[in-house]
Amino acid sequence: MNTRTTTKGDRTTQRRVEVDASRHGGFAEKELVFEIKDLSVYYGSFKAVRDVDLVIHKSAITALIGPSGCGKTTFIRCLNRMNDLIDTARVEGEIKYHGVNLYDKKVDAVEVRRRVGMVFQKPNPFPKSIYDNISFGPKISGFKGNMDELVEQALVKAALWDEVKDRLKESAMGLSGGQQQRLCIARCVAVEPDVILMDEPCSALDPIATGRIEDLMQDIKNDYSIVIVTHNMQQAARVSDMTAFFTAEVNEEQDRRTGVLVEYDKTENIFQTPSDERTENYVTGRFG
Amino acid sequence: MRGPRITLPDGSAEPSHEDSRPLRTAFAFELEQLRLQIEVMALRVDEALQRSTTVLLTGDLDLAEKVIASDDDIDDMLVSLTERCYDLLGRQNPVASDLRLVVSVIRILSDLERSGDLCLRIVKLAPDHDLIKSNLGTYGILREMATEAQELFRTAIKAWSTRDLHLAKTLEERDDAMDAHNRALMEGIMMMQGPGAVPMAVKTLLAGRALERIADHSVMIGERLRYMLTGNPESLSAEIRPTRRAGGNATSQGF
Repeated sequence: MNTRTTTKGDRTTQRRVEVDASRHGGFAEKELVFEIKDLSVYYGSFKAVRDVDLVIHKSAITALIGPSGCGKTTFIRCLNRMNDLIDTARVEGEIKYHGVNLYDKKVDAVEVRRRVGMVFQKPNPFPKSIYDNISFGPKISGFKGNMDELVEQALVKAALWDEVKDRLKESAMGLSGGQQQRLCIARCVAVEPDVILMDEPCSALDPIATGRIEDLMQDIKNDYSIVIVTHNMQQAARVSDMTAFFTAEVNEEQDRRTGVLVEYDKTENIFQTPSDERTENYVTGRFG
Repeated sequence: MRGPRITLPDGSAEPSHEDSRPLRTAFAFELEQLRLQIEVMALRVDEALQRSTTVLLTGDLDLAEKVIASDDDIDDMLVSLTERCYDLLGRQNPVASDLRLVVSVIRILSDLERSGDLCLRIVKLAPDHDLIKSNLGTYGILREMATEAQELFRTAIKAWSTRDLHLAKTLEERDDAMDAHNRALMEGIMMMQGPGAVPMAVKTLLAGRALERIADHSVMIGERLRYMLTGNPESLSAEIRPTRRAGGNATSQGF
């Protein structure tokens, strides 16, 4: 991978974000899942995120951190075209998924969302049985094989099988919050995705349930590339291989805040020797 | 490539947002206290070093006793500051420059404590003052080594208290002078002859060795400071370099 450089604007705070491939260590050689260039996202005329340049490495956990309103969620929703569902949202720039332009007219958004699954902040199981929650996705995408086996495999991968194997026909709503979230991960895994996006998957969970999800992420990261948005910086430091720090800067024309990517690097570098002072101030919790 | 970037652990780096305000002020205050306490402890070691030099030059037994007594304070500071560092690591999860400050402090603490102990080795030679002084050649070299060790140590403290990266860098170069003195001392010891030569050689060697080690610890403090300020992992190999340098001329290092 070559060094990527973006030159941004003329304001003094708009620095160049340099991703030095040598600092990506072993990841520099890994296959890229996403290559994002000059990505800006608008809601109507409001620019929510601007000029993001980023690559997502295969079989790695990439964490997105930053203060509220810095565009992390907006950004992650671009990766499976969830923003298509918002009428006013508009994407500029380029997102390549395994070399294919994700926003090409020929690309089927539904197929994108099958390959790029998402787990949300609050667990959102369907008000149906545990079994039905898992089998729903494969069924509508035309799965013809052994459904029992597939449900079991998905639950095993999500480290939930042992806890629910005797109550598969019971309602998913009877599970605890942490179990529900793992069920959502199992549901995501059941359709054999390539990437799993997680938007603050642990923010509604206690530390033990959070620990289970974090372990689970490590267990499955070789099979799926994971992108996680988190407000918990220690979580980013614990689980991720790469970390991107976003911040919101004042957009003078619109008197609103626009999200920018400040620094993207190996997680250890972000938490030990960040290159940008804004990252330093954020991770040390010194200014906010 | 990244150039060296200095980040100060007390949060004095200017925030880039106009409306940012300081957070975690109590934690920032504790880190600043820690930095100052290291300075206080270093000054105590500096005092011990100055006194041991006087003892080496005068053989003053009373002063030697004072140095020995004051070492207990230095040891107590080591224990309480180490505890404070562990406490900060456990409760505050320091990261980035804060983490580099705490881990650097933990390592500097042991450099300071070792330097204090090395001062004790020097003052314990007070009864042998006349013997050491009787060889004017090696005694002269020891005096220069004592001056050099004091200067290096003071430079290290000054670099720490002013967070002066440039000054920290000069320490390693200046240590070469100490190495040259040490080699000259060894040559002088090898030339010693006569009935009292063995005790004289042993005592001179002990004094020279202690002074040389104090200089090494001063260089290490400089390296820890450089790591703290820049995060450059090259500064983590402070201990390795002197031994590797000694690899080629081990005999002249007194092994």
